Amino acid sequence: MTTVERVRTAIASVDDPEYPGISVVDLGLLETLDVTLDGHVVVGLIPTFSGCPALSMIANDVRAVVGSVDGVSSCDVRWLGAPAWTVDRVSDEARQAMAQEFTVAVRIGVEPVSCPRCGAPTTETSLFGPSRCRAVHSCPACSEVVEVMRSSSGGRA
Amino acid sequence: MGRSWASMVAFEAFLDDGGIVEVDDDMPDAYRQAVFAFIEMHANSELMGGLTERDWIPKTPGLRHKMAVLAKTQDEIGHGHLLYMVAADMGIKHRREMLEDLFAGRSRFHNVFHYRAKTWGDQVAISFLVDAAALATQQAVFKNCSYGPYRRILKRIITEEGFHMRMGEERMLLIAEGTEVQRALFQASLDDWWWPALQLFGPDSQPDDVLLRWHIKSERNEVLRARWVQKFAPLLISYGFTVPDPDLVHDPEAGTWTSGPIDWEPLRRTLAMGGPDSARRIADAAANWADTGWVREAMDHAPERAPGPAGAAV
Repeated sequence: MTTVERVRTAIASVDDPEYPGISVVDLGLLETLDVTLDGHVVVGLIPTFSGCPALSMIANDVRAVVGSVDGVSSCDVRWLGAPAWTVDRVSDEARQAMAQEFTVAVRIGVEPVSCPRCGAPTTETSLFGPSRCRAVHSCPACSEVVEVMRSSSGGRA
Repeated sequence: MGRSWASMVAFEAFLDDGGIVEVDDDMPDAYRQAVFAFIEMHANSELMGGLTERDWIPKTPGLRHKMAVLAKTQDEIGHGHLLYMVAADMGIKHRREMLEDLFAGRSRFHNVFHYRAKTWGDQVAISFLVDAAALATQQAVFKNCSYGPYRRILKRIITEEGFHMRMGEERMLLIAEGTEVQRALFQASLDDWWWPALQLFGPDSQPDDVLLRWHIKSERNEVLRARWVQKFAPLLISYGFTVPDPDLVHDPEAGTWTSGPIDWEPLRRTLAMGGPDSARRIADAAANWADTGWVREAMDHAPERAPGPAGAAV
């Protein structure tokens, strides 16, 4: 494995603090990764939204795992202002895990949201959930209360 | 209609086998009432907690901590929102009735929200001690909760509360490594908040506690409380602070820390809405509810929004 591959694997082991078991790479936060010949690593991450309180925690976690990779001499973690994060960046595996483990659906574009529990289309009850990146829906079929991850930049989702 | 049970004995056997009750099941009334009351109190506590956090947004020192308090406020209000939905689905009270009962002082919320957070030191003590206590009680419910919709919501709430606890630890370390003035501020807050945080667990569980029998709680109050003392007493002492319990017992052989006798009178007063800050807190929440009446009015009469990505800006 090259140093870049080892660093990428290390970053993929960092979970989002609000979704244990789901990595920051699967959520689409990793944007750029540069490794110089003398082992200096610069990681460029993008936040789901700019006011996210987990940013320093995630940066610290990434810095810690990258710093212990063989061949790395130092590591810089930067939060990039662009591109904006959208739900399209969430991997299919993470999407499935969020539905199964946390009853959180990820909405893509204008597609209706399927209830993670019974599959029926849900209806939106509030744009505002416990986080700016999540709205609240409910399922008319099974009454499940469903949280729906959305992009903060694109208005409603 | 979902499943039904011929008798309470059959229902309890179902629960003892690890059965999970869903909202459309024909559950016994006593179970429905007990679960509803428990979730309603949890929802009320999230909302009252969120309102307290909100009060601290302008007063929180430093941009990074301010961001965290903003997000925590949204977390708590959002948790309240989810929990009121789950509670309302049980068909006992509408969401609005629950809120009106809360703001009229007719329904309960956690004891810690009957006290006033006067200083930043208080906020640090709350996020360090109280958030950990609340998380421990929620984890103990989640572990074995027989009511499915609550159990699934709790899983998400717990991950976020765990995140709050990490923020509390970070704040505590910062103040513990601070100046003498900062450390004295935090010690004064510990003196005020140690006992309310400990009392959040409640008095020893009764042998006939239905919350335990029906697998809503999975652990006895005194067990959770003892575990919390065991963790936090030595931690605070290791940072050079004093635990305000003159009868705290440390057994170096067994490595245990046990609290002295607990005066439950302050807890009883909060349950009767007679805590040191109960009246002001409830009046504040009620005023907030009244002030935001026009939003509900507008929402009640709003036309259906057109679907699609170009809808209302947020």
